[in-house]
Amino acid sequence: MKTDVQVMLQIGFVVMQLIMLLALSPFIVGVIRKVNARLQCRRGASLLQPYADLAKLFDKQPVISSTTSWIFTAAPYIVFASTVAAGLLMPVFISHTPLNFAGNIIALVYLLALGTFFLILAGLDAGSAFGGMGSSREAIVATLAEPAMILSILAIALTAGSTNLSTIVHQSALLEGMVLAPPAHLMALAAMFIVTLAETGRVPVDNPATHLELTMIHEAMLLEYSGRYLALMEWAAGIKLLVFLTLLVNVFAPWGIATEATPLALATGVAVYIVKVTGLAVIIGVIESMFAKLRLFRVPELLGSAFILALLALVFFYTLRG
Amino acid sequence: MSESTQLGSQLVDLCSVLLLLSCFAIVAQRRLSACVDLFALQSFFLATTAALVAFLTGHRHIYLAAALTVVIKVIVLPRILRKVIERLNVSRELVMNINIPAGLLICGGLVVVAFFITQPIIPLGYLLTRDSLALALAIILIGLFTMIARKKAVTQMVGFLVMENGVFLGTTAAAYGMPLIVELGVFFDVLVAGLIAGIYTHRLQDAFDSVDTSELTVLKE
Repeated sequence: MKTDVQVMLQIGFVVMQLIMLLALSPFIVGVIRKVNARLQCRRGASLLQPYADLAKLFDKQPVISSTTSWIFTAAPYIVFASTVAAGLLMPVFISHTPLNFAGNIIALVYLLALGTFFLILAGLDAGSAFGGMGSSREAIVATLAEPAMILSILAIALTAGSTNLSTIVHQSALLEGMVLAPPAHLMALAAMFIVTLAETGRVPVDNPATHLELTMIHEAMLLEYSGRYLALMEWAAGIKLLVFLTLLVNVFAPWGIATEATPLALATGVAVYIVKVTGLAVIIGVIESMFAKLRLFRVPELLGSAFILALLALVFFYTLRG
Repeated sequence: MSESTQLGSQLVDLCSVLLLLSCFAIVAQRRLSACVDLFALQSFFLATTAALVAFLTGHRHIYLAAALTVVIKVIVLPRILRKVIERLNVSRELVMNINIPAGLLICGGLVVVAFFITQPIIPLGYLLTRDSLALALAIILIGLFTMIARKKAVTQMVGFLVMENGVFLGTTAAAYGMPLIVELGVFFDVLVAGLIAGIYTHRLQDAFDSVDTSELTVLKE
């Protein structure tokens, strides 16, 4: 009977994690918008505005261009599902994720890449010039960000001696079984942060608020979407942002996460997680207001430095171990 | 190795890594004034590292070297370079001998080379700063690379100063710094070199209306 209870508990955790990812992601998007607005001396929309936007879009009837194929209607579901699946593989508020047997950190990276791939296809599918342009730009950013991301993740995996995210987070939260290499951690964090800005379409790379055809990347691919398809895409983008923020806070600063399944630890885990993610969202909002968007041809320089930082993290792991 | 010396050694490593990080920022930076600011920042990290080493080892003369670093490399030299930049008709370097992404990759390679070369030597050392030797060599190589890759006299000067920072870090790492008299001589040299390069850049600007050193290859009687 005891195992039955435990199985139910684990399923409960998965459902709770799912609900947190789905419910928190529009809030995070709202926080970043609010910070941007306040820094521009505007009052800004309410923090709940993204929820209202999603509800409105789900209510509307979608319009689908007659030139599109099945990929166009399938893509939003694939993008949404792969992003949510990636989110379920990683520890959010408890370090031992029930689903961690299903895939390690490399699976997570490529689940996200699967979503990006179908997003690119969907952008191309309608045959509009903007969609194609957005897709080609997204492909550039994605291909340049991926090596940096994989290398920085490998550097962290080496310090914990495992590519399993739960093990990494659990060990760094308790500071046991880790090889302490602060330079490697610092470099990997810097690389991962740049990758986060690039992958989630934040300001130095892409401007999520613009509809100016010369500069947009992510918005250009979504131009043809409307109604519930657009809502799914926007929601998936919010979840992807949350997944990256969660990776940053839980891999590099996991302290406070629940390392055991007691009610008190869980409550602190959830509270600390929400505070940390919101804090990071505020930092991203400030960065967005401080920097101008880079010219597209300068983006490879930014991502190149992220790659070099990640490479150095690996080198330092082997050479600077005190 | 006891707990506290291991912590100290990691702190020194971390400070030296920040030095190396600012090197990469200089390599990736196009704006001349930002390059100078980054050099000042790097020198500040260098002074912090030196002060840390002085604190951990109790070698008093390193404090003096750290103080001199702050005065000369964080305050005086950047000020001279900024004065030079004010007079120039360019604020950013658009054409380089090697473009920035390739330059970053090459610098990454240089770091690996530096680590590879110093790997057999480092375990022989017993000082708590010994890991910094590899970083110092990497910084020297990147400084040299900056001098090769850039065309403007000002950024070449920054590259030279970065190399000097690397040498200073290297001496601190290998032997807790040079004797004080040598240290003073080197600081004086760097100051004078900075002044002369500043004057020379002014002359270059006057003669060619540009500080592109590649123009010097067409000098005629």
